Amino acid sequence: MAEHKKIHKGIVKNLKKCSKDIYLLELESETSFVSTAGQFISIFCERTLRRPFSIYQNDGNTVSVLFREIGKGTKYLTSLKENDIVDFSGPFGNGFEIKNKRALLIGAGAGVAPVSYLKTELEKRGIESLLISGFRDKDDIPSCLNSDFIVTDDGSNGIKSNVIDFARLKVKEFNPEIIYSCGPLIVLKKSSELAKELGIEAQVSMEKVMACSIGVCRGCVIDVIKEGQVQNASVCKDGPVFKGSEVVWKI
Amino acid sequence: MENIIQTKLAHLTFKSPVFTASGTYGYADEYDDFLDVSEIGAIVTKAISLKPREGNKHTRIIETQAGMINSIGLENLGIEGFLEKKLPVLRAKNIDFIMNIAGSSMEEYALLGEICSQNNIKAIELNVSCPNVKSGCLEFGVSADSLYNLVSKVRENYDGFLIVKLTPNVTSIEELALACKRAGADCISAINTLKGLEVKFELVNGKFRKTKVQGGYSGVGIQPVALSMVNRIRQAVDLPIIGMGGIYTLEDMLKFFAVGADAIQIGTANFTYPDIAKKLQDELREYIIKNNFKDLDDLKNKIRTCFNEQ
Ligand SMILES: Cc1cc2nc3c(=O)[nH]c(=O)nc-3n(C[C@H](O)[C@H](O)[C@H](O)COP(=O)(O)OP(=O)(O)OC[C@H]3O[C@@H](n4cnc5c(N)ncnc54)[C@H](O)[C@@H]3O)c2cc1C
Ligand SMILES: Cc1cc2nc3c(=O)[nH]c(=O)nc-3n(C[C@H](O)[C@H](O)[C@H](O)COP(=O)(O)O)c2cc1C
Ligand code: FES
Repeated sequence: MAEHKKIHKGIVKNLKKCSKDIYLLELESETSFVSTAGQFISIFCERTLRRPFSIYQNDGNTVSVLFREIGKGTKYLTSLKENDIVDFSGPFGNGFEIKNKRALLIGAGAGVAPVSYLKTELEKRGIESLLISGFRDKDDIPSCLNSDFIVTDDGSNGIKSNVIDFARLKVKEFNPEIIYSCGPLIVLKKSSELAKELGIEAQVSMEKVMACSIGVCRGCVIDVIKEGQVQNASVCKDGPVFKGSEVVWKI
Repeated sequence: MENIIQTKLAHLTFKSPVFTASGTYGYADEYDDFLDVSEIGAIVTKAISLKPREGNKHTRIIETQAGMINSIGLENLGIEGFLEKKLPVLRAKNIDFIMNIAGSSMEEYALLGEICSQNNIKAIELNVSCPNVKSGCLEFGVSADSLYNLVSKVRENYDGFLIVKLTPNVTSIEELALACKRAGADCISAINTLKGLEVKFELVNGKFRKTKVQGGYSGVGIQPVALSMVNRIRQAVDLPIIGMGGIYTLEDMLKFFAVGADAIQIGTANFTYPDIAKKLQDELREYIIKNNFKDLDDLKNKIRTCFNEQ
């Protein structure tokens, strides 16, 4: 019989408000599981559809997500109390492909979660990385974040820039061999363009509203180019991480 | 040990009355990470067409107050892909399944039926909520005449268990059920999704932005409609009925049995609770034992009698 280990009960160990509307949620999982950076879990939020969140940290017993409160599902999460039980499933998706290459990591908003996880994974392997993260203003910056550079749209924290412009400044001295990014679609697209200009690979973590999280409902598909042809790919199973050069950008 | 939830639909026997609905369960063992799929009564495959389909380009799913709307556009791997890649998995893992088929013309449905016969597919479910390209894209399942012709045509070409899945987007479900019976269907399943629309607005810098999906409405909100439809079909024909629409709990399932369903399918709930089919099946078994019913048929008879009392 197959092992049925993708549904978990998590005990809320910590729910911390890290910025104006970004929260850190730590769940102690009854069942431990391994994951890689870029994979996600789907949390039951007392709504019809589960909500997908990139894994921020996972030490086997405690898994955490960094999320922005934006609607009903995430409001439910912010209402949780210590020791509440949360039903979540996963890990799902492919995750970033780790290569032995000097890595530029770009994260915007709550999108910083998977690239921050990736930074830890790269450090474990002794791979050099530089994380640049971008937020709206200083009140938006999560206090728990460990980032090499933090920029804000309005400059209220000292560096006024969008993440991409700042990354452009930094590539000259850092000389990356690969770019990994997560955030709004425009950031992913621009990261891919930057990588293309530099002649290096970009891996981007895409987002789509999801229902099943396992590739069956076909609700989360995007267009990708493979072998010269436009094809469907599901963000939940074929992704969420795609090569920037494969994505058909609809923006 | 005697299987107290064994379910007979005409001449076919299933190990339980709990099936999983088309489009929510993949083609084969996709839910093996959550449960042992071979323990479920049967899975109904995603709709399979003659040729692979890409599906729709626009936003495909949106949550509503009490369910969801999908506009997937029947993306599927086509019958050849299914026979080659999925059928061997179903057979190797001993998963009981019903193949949901979808065509864009009578001829396509007939051919699909023929291919299913040749491959010894035991049971098929006709998705008749597809537009008939030849008749100006009206759905096959909305007129009794076109449905009768369609089902007759498939019946001529397919010798297995023929289920017709009715759409609720009609005036007289009774007429359609009767047309299925006359055309030689073995069983009716109901309901497919209701037509619905959801739109969400966001105000960004003084300008509205929208996310809109128009398509099939499913989930908890459609349950009363489904119960009513199943009950009306029950009164119109004596074919076995597989009921569905917003089933999430044992209580929901019992309501469907009461109004006339012989088996049920779980759809949208699989997304939220991926192990629900197994859970409901176990709960049903326990309920029968705990309350001293002889078996599922005994339970069904009693709850139906109660429902039908004046
Ligand atoms: C693979 C993946 C990883 C993600 N990781 C994170 C993360 O680490 N941190 C984080 O804050 N957010 C993440 N998201 C986005 C997160 O899933 C949504 O913010 C969340 O579902 C919103 O739920 P809600 O009920 O609060 O909002 P809703 O009321 O449902 O909607 C508010 C807004 O969020 C959008 N939205 C709704 N559902 C989704 C969804 N499933 N995916 C994307 N957008 C959605 C809606 O279009 C709408 O504009 C991720 C999404 C995906 C697909
Ligand atoms: C995402 C999605 C895809 C579906 N695809 C199909 C399909 O391919 N063929 C079909 O006959 N019904 C399809 N349906 C309808 C379901 O099988 C079922 O009839 C309907 O959703 C009502 O049940 P529920 O409320 O339990 O979901 C689909 C439903 C959903 C939500
Ligand atoms: S969410 Fe169902 S296919 Fe991706």
